[in-house]
Amino acid sequence: MDMNKKLPVLLLVSVFIIATCGLIYELIAGTLASYLLGDSVTQFSTIIGVYLFSMGLGSWISKYFDKNLLGWFIRIEILVGLVGGTSSSILFLVFESVSSFRIILYGLISITGILVGLEIPLLMRILKDRFEFKDLVSKVFTFDYIGALIASLVFPLLLIPYLGIVRTAYLFGMLNVLVALITCINFKHEIKGAKYLQSASIISLVALLTGFIYANTITNFSESLTYSDTIIFSKSTPYQRIIITKKGRDLRLFLNGNLQFSSVDEYRYHEALIHPVLQALPDAKNVLVMGGGDGLAVREILKYPQIQTVTLVDLDKEMTKLFRTNEMLLKLNNRSFLSPKVTVINADAFSWAREQRKVYDAIIIDFPDPSNYSVGKLYTNTFYAIVKHLLKPDGIMVVQSTSPYIAPKSYYTVEKTLQSVGLHTVPYHNYVPSFGEWGYIMAMSKPVYKVPDHYLPGLRFMSKQCLEQMLYFPKDMARVPAQVNKLNNQILVKYFEDEWSTVL
Amino acid sequence: MSGRLFYNRSSGVKPLSRRSFLLQAGLVTGAIFFNGCIRKIGGGKPAYAHIKGKLSGPNAKAGHALRDKLPMPIPSSQQSVKTLIIGSGISGLSAARWLQKQGETDFKLLELEDHTGGNAFFGTNSVSSYPLGAHYIPIVNNYDKPLVDFLQENGVITHFDEKGQPYYNEFYLCFDPEERLLINGHWQEGIVPDFGVTDNDRKQVIRFFNLITQLKNARGNDSKYVFDIPLDNSSADDTYRKLDRISFHDYLQQNGFNSPYLLWYLNYCCKDDYGTPALNVSAWAGLHYFSARKGTAANADPNAVITWPEGNGWLMKRLRETVKDHVQTSHLAYDIQLDKNGKVAVKVLDLKQNTSAIFHADKVIMASPQFVNQKLLKNIARPGFDASMLHYSPWLIANLTVNEIPTAAKGMVLCWDNVAYNTASVGYVNANQQDTKLVEAKKVITYYLPLCDKEPRLARLAAYTRTYEQWLDIVISEMEQMHPGITEHIEQADMWLWGHGMIAPSVNYIWGSNRQQAKQAINNQIFFAHTDLSGISIFEEAFHQGIRAAQQVIEHNNGAA
Repeated sequence: MDMNKKLPVLLLVSVFIIATCGLIYELIAGTLASYLLGDSVTQFSTIIGVYLFSMGLGSWISKYFDKNLLGWFIRIEILVGLVGGTSSSILFLVFESVSSFRIILYGLISITGILVGLEIPLLMRILKDRFEFKDLVSKVFTFDYIGALIASLVFPLLLIPYLGIVRTAYLFGMLNVLVALITCINFKHEIKGAKYLQSASIISLVALLTGFIYANTITNFSESLTYSDTIIFSKSTPYQRIIITKKGRDLRLFLNGNLQFSSVDEYRYHEALIHPVLQALPDAKNVLVMGGGDGLAVREILKYPQIQTVTLVDLDKEMTKLFRTNEMLLKLNNRSFLSPKVTVINADAFSWAREQRKVYDAIIIDFPDPSNYSVGKLYTNTFYAIVKHLLKPDGIMVVQSTSPYIAPKSYYTVEKTLQSVGLHTVPYHNYVPSFGEWGYIMAMSKPVYKVPDHYLPGLRFMSKQCLEQMLYFPKDMARVPAQVNKLNNQILVKYFEDEWSTVL
Repeated sequence: MSGRLFYNRSSGVKPLSRRSFLLQAGLVTGAIFFNGCIRKIGGGKPAYAHIKGKLSGPNAKAGHALRDKLPMPIPSSQQSVKTLIIGSGISGLSAARWLQKQGETDFKLLELEDHTGGNAFFGTNSVSSYPLGAHYIPIVNNYDKPLVDFLQENGVITHFDEKGQPYYNEFYLCFDPEERLLINGHWQEGIVPDFGVTDNDRKQVIRFFNLITQLKNARGNDSKYVFDIPLDNSSADDTYRKLDRISFHDYLQQNGFNSPYLLWYLNYCCKDDYGTPALNVSAWAGLHYFSARKGTAANADPNAVITWPEGNGWLMKRLRETVKDHVQTSHLAYDIQLDKNGKVAVKVLDLKQNTSAIFHADKVIMASPQFVNQKLLKNIARPGFDASMLHYSPWLIANLTVNEIPTAAKGMVLCWDNVAYNTASVGYVNANQQDTKLVEAKKVITYYLPLCDKEPRLARLAAYTRTYEQWLDIVISEMEQMHPGITEHIEQADMWLWGHGMIAPSVNYIWGSNRQQAKQAINNQIFFAHTDLSGISIFEEAFHQGIRAAQQVIEHNNGAA
């Protein structure tokens, strides 16, 4: 084909691809923003607004490009491909640790918008001598809008379900660069520095392909299939796999696949865990929290002005770091880890407790469920005997103790184990919709627990009447005979597995 | 009728004729050497080039100096000591501790290695301590006062409940989960085969354990326990003692135990505790393994075990603690004579200085194995005792530092003891089992391979011929069978070869005359303490061997005074 005939066809195909890619980047940004920040109406509106405005800005800037238009077009294509292709990976990666996530989000959108905005005017100027003006406008915009339609259809129907958001971005990034490369190869005589642009596009293509292949390590896409909600954060730490999902206003934290809280009803769990203890200890000053790396229990504790120190021991540094830096999570735990009263210690609770001499007014034990032999050690008589030494004589400790409804044997094993080290126990339970019926056990050295008369103002769940109900166990959760859980029998892990396997 | 079943029949280890031994030795070592050459010629990087580690073992140089009668430096100094103990394994340390407990102050303990411990020796790397041999003891018989006292002194038993039941320290009682077996493609909990076995197999297992329950409580016509620890306390009733005159293998056959799964399990137990299969173990010893432990605890099951990352090295350190000032390591006793002044003259080579000295001792306790004693006492007759009839099983212990243990088969998760059905080894132990940490990035696992596929002398020769790489071939291929893909996760593999790992309780050894003769003191001056004088190599026997010899010394001292 003659060079002059070949160019228009190729460039019009480019228009189509550019339009598709442009809209895809916009959709990706909007989707990610609503995943990560919630409130999809606001996110989509502002993203579309900023994106269109940036495109306008790009169109305006296009007039400053005078020479070597084809060369610039190729450069911009490569850049769009790189920025757009990596955009969702960048957003996923910075989400965990950057508090100014929005700046990066809108920054990326603006850059993509400007570059995409530059493309069409440049193209039209390249093509202006080869078509009549009315033909040119008609052709370019037809391809532009068809591309947009295709993008808006394949994005929700094919790309998100089958490729995932990170791979989609890389795929379209590669398409952009491919346009650059093909143009470059076909018009190497018309372009200055064609060799250089050609190698730049090849390198970019390889980089994007690498990203595409390894995208699974950024957000484990196969994993997302097992969660019904959208995964907005996932990370494997040396200790566990942390997953945060979001659906509407419901933010959920999973550790190794087990639900830790749902932002919709976690207040029921955390109020029940904390207030029956602290409301009964008006003079409590020093509180120890073991587990609870989400800072939500600490949030409740800090509601008491007389509390002077909160010491939190959680194994996983990544976990506490996440809940200390991420804006959305900080909002959830009310910046509890940033309080000067709070000391976060990243250590293994068992080893740490063995070495402590300081005593506490209240101890909150908020470990994951005893679903394996490792965590099971933290539910043994040996561990409770150690913790008992860290509790003041008139102090109270509380243990989250799985569901007395689904796993009564497990629940009462925890109680029996606490009793076996000479503690008096006060079991209670409440309903947490995302967990079901849930159980807690208070334990203390003296056999006195007075139900508090008053609660802090502003609590959403706890009240005097509420606790009275929580202390009552209906027949289907009545006490069953139980044994002591020990390091050398770990019966709790076996009970827990048996009892939960019947419902899961 | 039943008496005929126990008719003395030799089976198991048959001494080879010299000619046949040499022929087989040549074939075996030649084959290993040839394999080594092929490896070298084949070149290429093996899949485990990334694995660090080395092959070591007891000080073979010193041992061979003794065996090959190399010329020693002329003794340049003399010293006197009331009691001299040779060997710092559990028996020797226990003897020293006992002497001290009885108020003795003038004693010395010599050890040829640069460390104490014998079979209870252990290693340590950046991840963990780990055993190089003995690695646990079952909870002890409650009436075994010396041992109970020792455990209480060292906080293993913390206190006793109102019924007098001992409370064991819960950090030492083996953490759950304890044991698993890879069988029929599945990791089952416990080692007695159960997954995918037939009802007939299960019935035989139950029948066997019912028999054991009976034997545990059985007493002989002298009203002593039929099986006890130390085993010399067991009943003399010949109804049971005659079981020592047939092999465990034959006994099981005669009693209708033919389930391949049960037989595998019992064979595994013999290999695990005695380093040799049921064919080479007397029925008495085989049953003793199951029936002699009657210990109970306030806070553990009757069959519970106590263990530490360094295995019995932990107990060994406690034994050594109070006598450590009397211990001299890197000191090889190489000649013992009764001198004219009524003393025992012991020639000792200081391996570090390469100087010799003569120790003049009133009494000597030889807490060393009989194959060593034979060399030391070459000039002193031990009438009726034939050391060549004692068989010692060689062992290879591999400590593997792993960053992950990939699991292909479903079922039970990592336990303390992890065994695969029908393999050469007796499995591996997680050295970090007693760690309270939730997650360890790395672990050390200790793999135990009894070298019992050949007659012990041949197996030993073959073992000494193998290179580190050849051991890796053996260990890794089995580990891969248990955990496909584990090779890349092995960072370090340290091999330890015990040429004479433990005494085998061969047919007719425990209650035959040879053992009785071996225990006989010489001239009331030289006394013996070692598990090879019991016939089974367990901590409790060693502990009591030491006490028995120390007690003999003290009684003769008192008698003399």
